[in-house]
Amino acid sequence: MKQNGLIIGLVLVASLISTSMFTVHLTQSAVVLELSKPKKIVTEPGLYFKIPVLQKVRYFSKQLLDNDSPPTEVLTKDKKNLLIDNFSLYRITDPLKFLETVRTENGARARLDDIVYSELRVEIGTHDLIDVVTENRNLIMAKVTEESNKKAAEYGIQMADVRIKRVDLPPEIANSIFNRMRTERQRIAMEYRSEGKEESTKIRAQTDKEKTILIAEAYKQEQTIRGEGDGQATKIYAESFSKDPKFYNFIRSMEAYKKSLKSDTTILLSEDSEFLNFLNKNK
Amino acid sequence: MSWDDLHEQKGSGNRGSGSQGGGSQDKPPFDIPQIQIPKFKPSMFWIILGLLLLVWIIPGTFYFVEPDEEGVVVTFGEFSRITTPGMHFKFPSPIEHASTPKVKKIRRAEIGFRTTQGGGLQKVPAESLMLTGDQNIIDINLVVQYKVMDSVAYLFNIRRVHKLVRSISETVVRGIVGNRKIDEALTTGKAAIQINAQEQIQALLDKHKSGVQIVTIQLQDVHPPEQVEAAFKDVVSAREDKERMINEAQGYRNSVIPEARGQAAQIVRSSEAYREEKISMATGDSQRFMLQYNEYKKAPSITRKRIYLETMEEVLPSMQKFVMGNNKQGVLPILPLKPGALGDATGR
Repeated sequence: MKQNGLIIGLVLVASLISTSMFTVHLTQSAVVLELSKPKKIVTEPGLYFKIPVLQKVRYFSKQLLDNDSPPTEVLTKDKKNLLIDNFSLYRITDPLKFLETVRTENGARARLDDIVYSELRVEIGTHDLIDVVTENRNLIMAKVTEESNKKAAEYGIQMADVRIKRVDLPPEIANSIFNRMRTERQRIAMEYRSEGKEESTKIRAQTDKEKTILIAEAYKQEQTIRGEGDGQATKIYAESFSKDPKFYNFIRSMEAYKKSLKSDTTILLSEDSEFLNFLNKNK
Repeated sequence: MSWDDLHEQKGSGNRGSGSQGGGSQDKPPFDIPQIQIPKFKPSMFWIILGLLLLVWIIPGTFYFVEPDEEGVVVTFGEFSRITTPGMHFKFPSPIEHASTPKVKKIRRAEIGFRTTQGGGLQKVPAESLMLTGDQNIIDINLVVQYKVMDSVAYLFNIRRVHKLVRSISETVVRGIVGNRKIDEALTTGKAAIQINAQEQIQALLDKHKSGVQIVTIQLQDVHPPEQVEAAFKDVVSAREDKERMINEAQGYRNSVIPEARGQAAQIVRSSEAYREEKISMATGDSQRFMLQYNEYKKAPSITRKRIYLETMEEVLPSMQKFVMGNNKQGVLPILPLKPGALGDATGR
């Protein structure tokens, strides 16, 4: 029995120790509640003591938490609908406030969605669609983060970052974008093809022109050269033949007879002709 | 979404055990013996205590760090040390906890598609379709590879690191694409997008102290959305058509111009030949004439007569000849020099 008592005592001590101690992990902060009334806030990790039974501990994450909310439609300054999908990163900085206002992370998420979207609506409402899609996206995000952070402070939450993950146009507009893209491409394709035709025609025309010029130049040269030949020949002939035109006349005629009077020629020779003038001498 | 969550649970398993350790503190480990004591003899207590030691303390005192892991030990919720691969000692559970993240493993986040179990690809249009700066839509698939750089930061700073990497990557890539024109994003801008994205994603991850390092960003596939793909392909073929037409025209030129040059040269050469021929012939003729003339001058009338008769002699034999008298009675053939010659002539 003495041993039993010892065991029971040991167990009691052990359970007393274990219920009066708690560790706070480095990813956590804790609020010690005494009969549901906040008593102490613990933000540093380590081993802590509490009054057993009377005090309870609520733990909160100190890690960076994410909240990915579903996309919603927002109207831009130029009255265009945009589907915006954002996500936010937040941190519970004041566990007591957090516990008092939103109690749980799920509760916090609903509030954060509201805050972020209202800020986003306000901010995007002052920008044109093109700004949201392009250059000013980072600026808008920074502004929304800042504003949301101010509002979230009352829930003990620090807004680390709000980022627009996706900016899309609503489906019906997407279709008209596709149509526009298609027609734009068709335009470009047509441009390429007609540019090809243009170039091709230009090259062919240039070719034909060059060809015609080449041939004409050649003709010009040809005629000049031939003329030169004829001129020279005429000059040579004239120089030599003018020595005795009558003899030339005679000798050239003889040449011509040889060439032109062939076997298929029939000739009528008069008895009086020079050739036959001895034929009838006897008469 | 569900895929994400699944993945996240796997990844955060290590860290989960850490935070549970803190929470389980109010449940004392001695509870069980307390209940069992009245039923057993006091001597049994020591046996139970021995068993407990075996089951709880001894396995809880050692842990193993695999070669691709790093051990992170937390003492009473506070970070205490990092250990290298091998077997290590720690205090049992409520006092110390060990996590072993795989620090050498390259982790992978797919954006715009998912690799399915069978190894196939499943498209996720909601992620892959992005708006470009000139308000076109393009389809981008990318893979982000990252690894743990700082296991303490990785384990404790952010609850869902994988999710954060995904979200930030998507945001950054969309931001970059939103600043570019569609043609740039589709063609020359790819490398720049990758580099820019890696820088920006890393900067954001560092800003949130994620303990993660991006290894690579790979744009797997950048193409126009399915709905307009045909039109984009047609542009490519139009560009080819243009090149083809120009090439054909060049070909035409290349065949026509040299031919024309040849033709021109031929014309010129032949005219040159004509000129030379004419001159040579003229020179020859005149030379012949002069030589003949020089001799002729010495005896003009005799030479003249001789040439005339020689010519006649040469010309007349092959011809058909009719000799006419002076009686003016018309044609009177008297000398058919060749038999049948007249018949031939009349037969025609």
